[in-house]
Amino acid sequence: MVATRFIGWLRRFEKWFGFVAAILIAAGLYTGLVTSSPDYYQGEVVRIMYVHVPFVQTAMLSYFTLFICSIWYLWKRESVVDNACHAAAGLSLFFTAGGLLTGSIWGKPTWNAWWVWDPRLTSFAILFLTLVGYLMLRTFLEDKEKGATFCAILAIIGFIDLPIIHFSVEWWRSLHQPSSISTRGISIAPDMMVPFTLMGVGVSILFAYMLMVRTQMLYLQHLLEAKQGRLLSEGQFE
Amino acid sequence: MHFFRVVKWIAWKDLLSEYRNRENISSMFFFALNVILIFSFSFSLDPETLKEIMPGIIWVAFGFTAIIGLGKSFLIEVNNDCMEYFQCLPVPKGAIYLGKFLGNLLFMLTVEIVLFPLFVLFFNLTLLDQFLPLLLISTVATIGLSALGTLFSALTVQIRAREVMFPILLLPLSVPIFIGAVEATRGALSGDPLSSYQHWIELLGVFDVIFVVVSFWIFEFILDY
Repeated sequence: MVATRFIGWLRRFEKWFGFVAAILIAAGLYTGLVTSSPDYYQGEVVRIMYVHVPFVQTAMLSYFTLFICSIWYLWKRESVVDNACHAAAGLSLFFTAGGLLTGSIWGKPTWNAWWVWDPRLTSFAILFLTLVGYLMLRTFLEDKEKGATFCAILAIIGFIDLPIIHFSVEWWRSLHQPSSISTRGISIAPDMMVPFTLMGVGVSILFAYMLMVRTQMLYLQHLLEAKQGRLLSEGQFE
Repeated sequence: MHFFRVVKWIAWKDLLSEYRNRENISSMFFFALNVILIFSFSFSLDPETLKEIMPGIIWVAFGFTAIIGLGKSFLIEVNNDCMEYFQCLPVPKGAIYLGKFLGNLLFMLTVEIVLFPLFVLFFNLTLLDQFLPLLLISTVATIGLSALGTLFSALTVQIRAREVMFPILLLPLSVPIFIGAVEATRGALSGDPLSSYQHWIELLGVFDVIFVVVSFWIFEFILDY
């Protein structure tokens, strides 16, 4: 019952999320790539920031979603929540890979290296590997319920481990620039702030939209499998 | 049954069966010996460079040993249909985890202690005056590694392709342990005083506590299936 109501709710609102995300990202890309001024030190190269930073933030947001959904699943055992976990994991992998790729492209002209062993890069590489492991674990477990539980456990352990990894590498070595927005204030020029915000919010809403669509897809697939199984057992298909 | 008695009996059972067939320890040992041999003839190095990369070599060998040894930890239970008995036991499930964890920790430490003289032999090291700090570092790092390894062994033992999935899940999440262990070992091997790398050992201690507590808590969900 809960699942049907939840899916109905997703169906009603998903269009609007998609629509708003498209508008915000279009506006963000236009202001970021055309109207905003280039950086004093980095020149035109800095424009990749408008894609890189939103991707990285959304990767963290999606992993956090996965963590919350995993706890929720272990608590309530609703299969639709497991579908949301599965969807969030796939999207998290997508945004993590995007963040790593754009970061690497940005790193070459600014640090003169595609890759350095910096805390944030290392944590993200490990996040990437953990998510690949998560999705592999899902494909190898035939029993749906067991798979859902084991994956939820893995997601929770991974979430607890990530700050530890970050912290330990930070002690080890550091090169990445500190965050531009922190409790000390904002250190970005105002005309850069506009595309930055638009893209940040836009990509987050895009994530919400993708999550809604993918969760529905996985839920329907689950229903279909259940129905096929029932019909097979009733002998309607030979 | 009293909690700690369960822990003790589970660990005792593993030690006794290991004492009788010596399967796990011997496979871990000979695998690590192979790794050390391959390393020793792939790098023919001057002593200075060797000192630089030695901690890495040691912990790669120990890491592989962990994969071989810990991955099989729950396999004997599945092969002997003991998982069902574990599920039915009227004891806290965390006690079963702690028992298995203790058994694994002892196996790993035994192999590591036997391997140290081999590093001396093949790489011409002088470890004797650094033996106690190295033992401390190995113990602290191995606690964390066994904690995660025991949990993932229980997680992967019931699935297809468990040999592939176990290292894929274990290695990324044990990165902080390897970083801490390698840095502390580097300090010990260069003969620095304990205080100069003490913070790495403390950090490893914090990881150990987190990993053991989280795995202890979460193990119950694994055993439910």
